[in-house]
Amino acid sequence: MDKILEVKDLNVIFHIFKADVQAVRGVNFELNKGETLAIVGESGSGKSVTSKAIMGLIPNPPGEITKGSSILFEGKDLVNYTEKQMEKVRGKEISMIFQDPMTALNPTMKIGKQIMEGLVKHQGMSKQDARNRAIELLKLVGIPKPEQRVDEYPHQFSGGMRQRVVIAIALACNPKILIADEPTTALDVTIQAQILDLMRDLQKKTGTAIVLITHDLGVVANMAQRVAVMYGGKVVETGLIDEIFYNPKHPYTWGLLSSMPKLHAKMDKLLAIPGSPPDLADPPKGCPFAARCPYAMKVCTNHMPEYTELSATQKAACWLLDERAPKVAPPETIGVGGNQNG
Amino acid sequence: MVRFILKRTGYMLVTFYIVLTLTFLSMKLLPGTPFKQAQKLTPQQLNTLKSYYGLNDPIPVQYVRYVWNFIHGDMGGSFQYGNEPVTDFLFARFPISLQLGINAMIVGTVLGILLGIVAGINRGKSLDWGSTMVAIIGVSIPSFVLAAILQFFFSVYWRIFPVAGWGGFMYQALPTLALAIGVTAQVARFMRTEMVEVLNQDYIVTAQAKGLSRATVIYKHAVRNAMIPVITIVPPMTAAVVTGSLVIENIFNIPGIGSQFVDSIVTNDYPMIMGTTELYALLYIVSLLVVDILYQLVDPRMRVTGGKA
Repeated sequence: MDKILEVKDLNVIFHIFKADVQAVRGVNFELNKGETLAIVGESGSGKSVTSKAIMGLIPNPPGEITKGSSILFEGKDLVNYTEKQMEKVRGKEISMIFQDPMTALNPTMKIGKQIMEGLVKHQGMSKQDARNRAIELLKLVGIPKPEQRVDEYPHQFSGGMRQRVVIAIALACNPKILIADEPTTALDVTIQAQILDLMRDLQKKTGTAIVLITHDLGVVANMAQRVAVMYGGKVVETGLIDEIFYNPKHPYTWGLLSSMPKLHAKMDKLLAIPGSPPDLADPPKGCPFAARCPYAMKVCTNHMPEYTELSATQKAACWLLDERAPKVAPPETIGVGGNQNG
Repeated sequence: MVRFILKRTGYMLVTFYIVLTLTFLSMKLLPGTPFKQAQKLTPQQLNTLKSYYGLNDPIPVQYVRYVWNFIHGDMGGSFQYGNEPVTDFLFARFPISLQLGINAMIVGTVLGILLGIVAGINRGKSLDWGSTMVAIIGVSIPSFVLAAILQFFFSVYWRIFPVAGWGGFMYQALPTLALAIGVTAQVARFMRTEMVEVLNQDYIVTAQAKGLSRATVIYKHAVRNAMIPVITIVPPMTAAVVTGSLVIENIFNIPGIGSQFVDSIVTNDYPMIMGTTELYALLYIVSLLVVDILYQLVDPRMRVTGGKA
């Protein structure tokens, strides 16, 4: 498969008063043409910072993408791009959908105009052409009466409708990559399913590769072909969706899967991973998950494990996979079956 | 929109009527008489004068007469200026104060907004500090001190502008500047805060993610949203500046309304005080309507008609 995006050893540091927060610490992943890669992890694991880094939207200062990081888009390194060069990538080659549709649209600008801006800028369309295309896009994302609604303002749209508009804006210039940063988190469950269906449909039509950032494994199961699990600013496990769901190897992935509510199992309470994520202003020397890991060994706190290749597509960074480590079976609670999407 | 304005105009008339009544009643509470050297007049002479001006009638009668005359455009005659109609007086002098006030507001608002934008987008950098300094100086230095400084340099030292008087641009420049600096400072501080706030909004990131240039993002997405709250302070400030230019009018010897207002109070010139007060009140009430209309023009969420939401 053709790699369209390759993130190599990405490090992002935020220089905050008296501390350097290492939000992303050596992240590696790649995205193939037309596929959906899910990046999962809990809050503060570095998912959003990674996506903003790809878009070149890390504010500097205080943010800094450190030397040695590279983000290869079609072989060209975006880290070295100037602001002017990035403007030609954003919205045209790589687009982004944001978490909260209620705040992601400019309240004082008509919907149509917000869609048209990118078209005029990147495709040099005339206002009339851009307007027609905006109506077309609104129809594409399933907004009824687009000819009329194109002239309305965001407050006249519901949350789900606004997210459709946000998607229309992102897809306006047929980008090669769409980064969706928790696109359904702020929506209620029925609308979530609609938005995910829409994204899948649009992907089929346009062939856009999607980086889906989420903490909702149900969404992942529905949308993605591959998964990268992030924890403490690092990718701890990556693999095909079946590998991650049915044969996970990293204890953090086990924890994530266990904490997902099951439809058919009788459960008295929801399982959680005890503890909280590491302080990235002073990250642990070893595995970031060691402090919360029920299987942690001495080596875990002092040395970061290397990746173990488990198949051509799956790898995980965990000392349990070392041949000298004791054999540990994953807990039964990870059991995945049936439809996980709400 | 038309209905909204009509409705608001109705409320405004009610408000204005209340102001009118309160002004009238407070006049009746003022100690002293309007007549100069009243102590030298015999009680009969004083009585004659009072009944000539209708001041001996019961207060309700005076009140009804005042309101009746007011509705017919007659605000009475000035006691201190040989019975000259107050309306003529206001019509002659008010435009000058208004001109000066509007000059100052235009200069001050434009400069203030520019300074605020520059400070807001360069938060924490030297440009921010610079414009904050200008704002602090502008707020701290009283306009009359600034007026004297301006007069010294521009009129006495460099001899560019006349020291005082009223006329065309040359006469208007210094008093306008003296009044504008305070406006600049206030607007700049306000605008800076709003810019910082707006630049942290999610839709700014959306705009950047579309690939728009920084200039476009700031101009088309940030400034317009940041200006909405600023708009709310400008019209009332205009009312305050137009009416509050008293000291500046005195320093530059400008025949506006401000200086005469003080004289009227000192001499108990009832019709004059009432006329001026009511004019000021009207100005303020109208400025609030202007705020609401402007709000609807710039912020679609505030629109009362045209939208379904």
